[in-house]
Amino acid sequence: MQFWRRRSLWLALSASSLLLTLLGFFPFLRLAVSPRPQPAAPQGWPRWLDTASLRSFSQPEEPPEDVPQPPQAPHGTSCSWGICFDTSRCRGDGLKVFAHAAAQPTSEMHRRILASLEGSRYHTRNLTEACLLFVLSPEDPDGQCGPAPQHWNGGRNHLVIRLHPDPCPQASQLGQAMVAQASPRVDTFRPGFDVALPLLPEAHPFRGGAPGQLQQHSPHPRAALLALAEEGGRWRTAGTYSSTCPWDGHCEQDLGPKQTRPEEKLPNATFCLIPGQRAEASRFLQALQAGCIPVLLSPHWELPFSEVIDWTKAAIVADKRLPLQVLAALQEMAPARVLALRQQTQFLWAAYFSSVEKVIHTTLEIIQDRILGASAHPSLLWNSPPGALLALSIFSRSPQDFPFYHLQQGSRPEGRFSALIWVGTSSQHPLKLIQAVAGSQHCAQILVLWSSEKPLPLKWPETTVPLTVMDGHRKVSDRFFPYSAISTDAILSLDAHSSLSTSEVDFAFVVWQSFPERMVGFLTWNHFWDETRSGWGYTAEMANEFSMVLTAAAFYHRYYHTLFTHSLPKALRTLADEAPACVDVLMNFLVAAATKLPPIKVPFSKQHRGAAPLAPRIPASGSQPQPPHQDCINRMVAEFGHMPLVPSRLRLDPVLFKDPVSVQRKKYRRLEKP
Amino acid sequence: MCASVKHSSRGPALIPRMKTKHRIYYVALFSVVLLGLLATGVFQFWPHSIEASGDWAVEKRSAAVPVVRLPRDSPVPERGDLSCRMHTCFDVYRCGFNPKNKIKVYIYSLKKYVDELGAPVSSTISREYNELLAAIADSDYYTDDISRACLFVPSIDLLSQHALRIRETAQALAQLSRWDRGTNHLLFNMLPGGPPDYNTALDVPRDRALLAGGGFSTWTYRQGYDVSIPVYSPLSAEVALPEKGPGPRRYFLLSSQMAIHPEYREEIEALQAKHGEAVLVLDKCTNLSEGVLSIRKRCHKHQVFDYPQVLQEATFCVVLRGARLGQAALSDVLQAGCVPVIIADSYILPFSEVLDWKRASVVVPEEKIADVYSILQSIPRRQMEEMQRQARWFWEAYFQSIKAIALATLQIINDRIYPYAAISYEEWNDPPAVKWSSVSNPLFLPLIPPQSQGFTAIVLTYDRVESLFRVITEVSKVPSLSKLLVVWNNQNKNPPEDSLWPKIRVPLKVVRTAENKLSNRFFPYDEIETEAVLAIDDDIIMLTSDELQFGYEVWREFPDRLVGYPGRLHLWDHEMNKWKYESEWTNEVSMVLTGAAFYHKYFNYLYTYKMPGDIKNWVDAHMNCEDIAMNFLVANVTGKAVIKVTPRKKFKCPECTAIDGLSLDQTHMVERSECINKFASVFGTMPLKVVEHRADPVLYKDDFPEKLKSFPNIGSL
Repeated sequence: MQFWRRRSLWLALSASSLLLTLLGFFPFLRLAVSPRPQPAAPQGWPRWLDTASLRSFSQPEEPPEDVPQPPQAPHGTSCSWGICFDTSRCRGDGLKVFAHAAAQPTSEMHRRILASLEGSRYHTRNLTEACLLFVLSPEDPDGQCGPAPQHWNGGRNHLVIRLHPDPCPQASQLGQAMVAQASPRVDTFRPGFDVALPLLPEAHPFRGGAPGQLQQHSPHPRAALLALAEEGGRWRTAGTYSSTCPWDGHCEQDLGPKQTRPEEKLPNATFCLIPGQRAEASRFLQALQAGCIPVLLSPHWELPFSEVIDWTKAAIVADKRLPLQVLAALQEMAPARVLALRQQTQFLWAAYFSSVEKVIHTTLEIIQDRILGASAHPSLLWNSPPGALLALSIFSRSPQDFPFYHLQQGSRPEGRFSALIWVGTSSQHPLKLIQAVAGSQHCAQILVLWSSEKPLPLKWPETTVPLTVMDGHRKVSDRFFPYSAISTDAILSLDAHSSLSTSEVDFAFVVWQSFPERMVGFLTWNHFWDETRSGWGYTAEMANEFSMVLTAAAFYHRYYHTLFTHSLPKALRTLADEAPACVDVLMNFLVAAATKLPPIKVPFSKQHRGAAPLAPRIPASGSQPQPPHQDCINRMVAEFGHMPLVPSRLRLDPVLFKDPVSVQRKKYRRLEKP
Repeated sequence: MCASVKHSSRGPALIPRMKTKHRIYYVALFSVVLLGLLATGVFQFWPHSIEASGDWAVEKRSAAVPVVRLPRDSPVPERGDLSCRMHTCFDVYRCGFNPKNKIKVYIYSLKKYVDELGAPVSSTISREYNELLAAIADSDYYTDDISRACLFVPSIDLLSQHALRIRETAQALAQLSRWDRGTNHLLFNMLPGGPPDYNTALDVPRDRALLAGGGFSTWTYRQGYDVSIPVYSPLSAEVALPEKGPGPRRYFLLSSQMAIHPEYREEIEALQAKHGEAVLVLDKCTNLSEGVLSIRKRCHKHQVFDYPQVLQEATFCVVLRGARLGQAALSDVLQAGCVPVIIADSYILPFSEVLDWKRASVVVPEEKIADVYSILQSIPRRQMEEMQRQARWFWEAYFQSIKAIALATLQIINDRIYPYAAISYEEWNDPPAVKWSSVSNPLFLPLIPPQSQGFTAIVLTYDRVESLFRVITEVSKVPSLSKLLVVWNNQNKNPPEDSLWPKIRVPLKVVRTAENKLSNRFFPYDEIETEAVLAIDDDIIMLTSDELQFGYEVWREFPDRLVGYPGRLHLWDHEMNKWKYESEWTNEVSMVLTGAAFYHKYFNYLYTYKMPGDIKNWVDAHMNCEDIAMNFLVANVTGKAVIKVTPRKKFKCPECTAIDGLSLDQTHMVERSECINKFASVFGTMPLKVVEHRADPVLYKDDFPEKLKSFPNIGSL
């Protein structure tokens, strides 16, 4: 028995030692056979054992011996912002632009450009305080270069506008001037110094401009995939999702079904193929307006405003040498990307390109951003609605301070508001109003703007929140001045004679927190097109729609005070001062132009409506002859270039509003008191 | 290893049966075998120098690396072509069609180049270049098949021009097997130029090759062709600087570089004299004791500071150009979370093609050095803190290792070649914290679709034909209905014949499904042509035409939201410590039932193809909560709340009391609560937003003649 046991043990032992030998020996075998990596095996880069002993590439730098000179350009003619532009002249007030006398308008387009410049808040009529001089290159396609204007100074701090791709071949003649040129060549364009403009059609409107053509976010399922730029300014729509090569002779397959609609100036497709030649650059704007995602095939020109606009969000720059690959990529593009690109084309069109004024103002804003340096617009402000022309950098540089970017920033508007009570000429003491507003749990402070002829009362009611009285300048536009005393995001704008309950204020504020970029108000007006006078009118009549809320009682973001004061043309603010009823229209225009959305109406109790009218300035109804100030809406449409107001058909009520349940269940029960 | 385990488990079972004398003997024997096996095993898994993975030791390298002798007259490439752009100098055909949208990179094997006399052309490969090539070889970009490669990386180390013999190095490049005027070749260089004029790009003639260079100026950088890269700082790997929270630090402005031109040093020292304690200017130490690394110390007068630790004491740190524009100090400064103040005219900042340096740095022209202090003072505190965070994040993502630099470079080139798959600005620039909390609404454009578009009603039905027909008749009265789609979810029964269906004024389509699944109601059917979709159950006959038309009008004003009738709420149950579903009369809503709800058709696509985790299958398996899942999905992707329209509280109809009775059932509520908890855990967050409002027509319950109201027939619960 023991023998068997011992024998089996020996067997096991010898088996394991054999295994041991084999296992242990193999590596040594391999060592002997092959000292270098086998070429067949996937090798990668070898792992050296001695990396620690390898020397580092870097060595201590020796200090420069000579007086440091900035690296020189190969020909001495190239410029960059830091070297050729003298920002010290722009200290103080920032950018001030003077249009050169030599730049007298020679064409309709020139006239529009100069008018846009004059409408800009950076414009000055004083040459000595200007830090940028504006020169219009003559619009002579033969390339006649006019003589240098006065005060040329080697072109320093000059901006030369060229609307044609190649008017003047001698670039060297421009010296140190910046060139804002339509579709500049990529190889002569100086990034960060020159400005790339879009190639504008001759008939491009001065102001406002046509809205984008996109009517829906996602492409229609039957819409064509591709439109191709054809000669003669036409577009050819290629068949839906045909797997063939739709342009030039690279592929020989059949083009599939196609419809040619030569009468169409704008393409109707998801993607627009635009060849890379500079002559085709004008197609780019057409595609943008149409909401057709531009697919640029190796463009030889710099995309407009490329310094600030992130074109990867709105267009595709593809290589024309790989047509099939481009086509396959377009067909397989994820719906999320198509959706995002489409919407971005429309946003960019409306924000920067739809009118000459926007193009010129964008150009100046870019230069202003360069001067500001660290406090320039962040990229987010340029590349998401409403765009940098409507998100002023003087307000703040932090996106979360604006009402527009809370989603992208993952932030929320503040949970408190400031009540701003305007006491006009004939107003009585807003005692009750102060008490009602101060009763709101969200109220942070109350500001009284005393614009009355009467002397300031000595006694003010006791409130739990701080109350500040400011002396106004008897001007209606004062109401919308960005007072530094306003410490919260939300403003509750009130007239002294307004009458609101705490419940109403609370509910309206909670609603505003969901829509911080809109105005949330109680009383509404509606605008309409008056056929008989062929002009716009507005009415305070109760209707199924509204497009304005009265600022006599409305919540809105304090940013709109900055926008009102700094972006509106002076003419409009004067208009509001002259006809006080216009100020409501103006504020609604401003917010609607920024948001492209209607305001929001919340309920208020009838009791107030009967007793103390919230809106004393209610204009006459549409049928009666209108008082002169009624015309302000038409003057504003002219100044804005379009009618920005958007109608809404809904009112936001508390969830249990007027429902037949116990009042005890309701949070805003005071709202429903008869 | 397996064998050894087996032995040890057998061992104790055998031993007790033997005599003591033998026992010791066997135990000893077994231990020897066991140890041997263990040792073998360990040896097998220990990193080897001889394995096929390609690890070479020093002596092997010298033996394995083939020597290439360059004849004196071997060709030299042209100098770099300044007009090169991707579409002129880059051969994109080599990259061809690639379903993964990834370029393929080949690395030439290591060779040793000697001139005619046998003298080496360059010194051995540097630690960093070795690391760089290893990083590429380990990445998804790598291919070992030269014929499939789109980009070629030579193994000739060009990181520092200092160590190069320029003409011979160029000759070595020219004889690479696929050189072809340098087309599609990527050269890495961090320290370009040399005394006295320190060119800002590598002086080695390289024809059309792409240059990833550290220290480009605007004159030498070919926009959209070259890649500007950082100058790697070896201190990144040597010194660990823990992240320091943002905020003002002890010194407002710090200058820590050693090789600064005396003229500039004077100007900065003048700042120090003017602003005192707030400004600290450091220089190299002259009186260090033996053995102390002078690179890691900085001095101000006789005070010694540790470098780079001292950078963490400053809010802003000057990065001034020296002989070269690119400075390794930039990397140290970013690592310390100090905001770099870059004073180097015409310098192309690292990865400037994709990185937004305005968010992390302040660029000051050289002639404005004297104004630096006031320029920095004007930056608001919040912005400065933002920049500190951003600076640290740039270092972590793109500066901290050679690998990070190499991969970012390849990604940039990849994005140029496959622009449709390019990485977005946000992905490059937003720090992880922002990426987590931010929402990018897929329907961000403020746009009110025209009323004329109308909506498509989708009725999910199983076999309640009579009820279905009533729903169809009712819905067809809504003016803006443009098409009706019936999703027939019953596989065992055919839908009624065509002639039996109600005659309505809009097209009616019946879709038969392959399986009875709830998710079929949210499938993106080709038949849906309008953007607005009304999902409606086959028993919802109580909604009036006014209610439905008004719902559509509300959707037009909020096309990115779910617009529904009865609202529901989620609540945190503090006792159970989990979410609870609530259908009582509350002042708040966070969900709407999809028994009748308007939404954008894009959400059908998201529900079907992009629903996170296993939610979709889970819903189909439980035959419940598809509406809660849709509420979660929309709220998560848009960051917005639902809109409840009209006072309606529940879907109640005389015929379907049984169903309604069920929904009031306690078990039903428990199930719905479970759904919320399950979905919240899959989403990793609670995306639902609570609001206190609902949408009513403007004149709802106002004292106004009913017949003049647009939507008079609204208000029943």
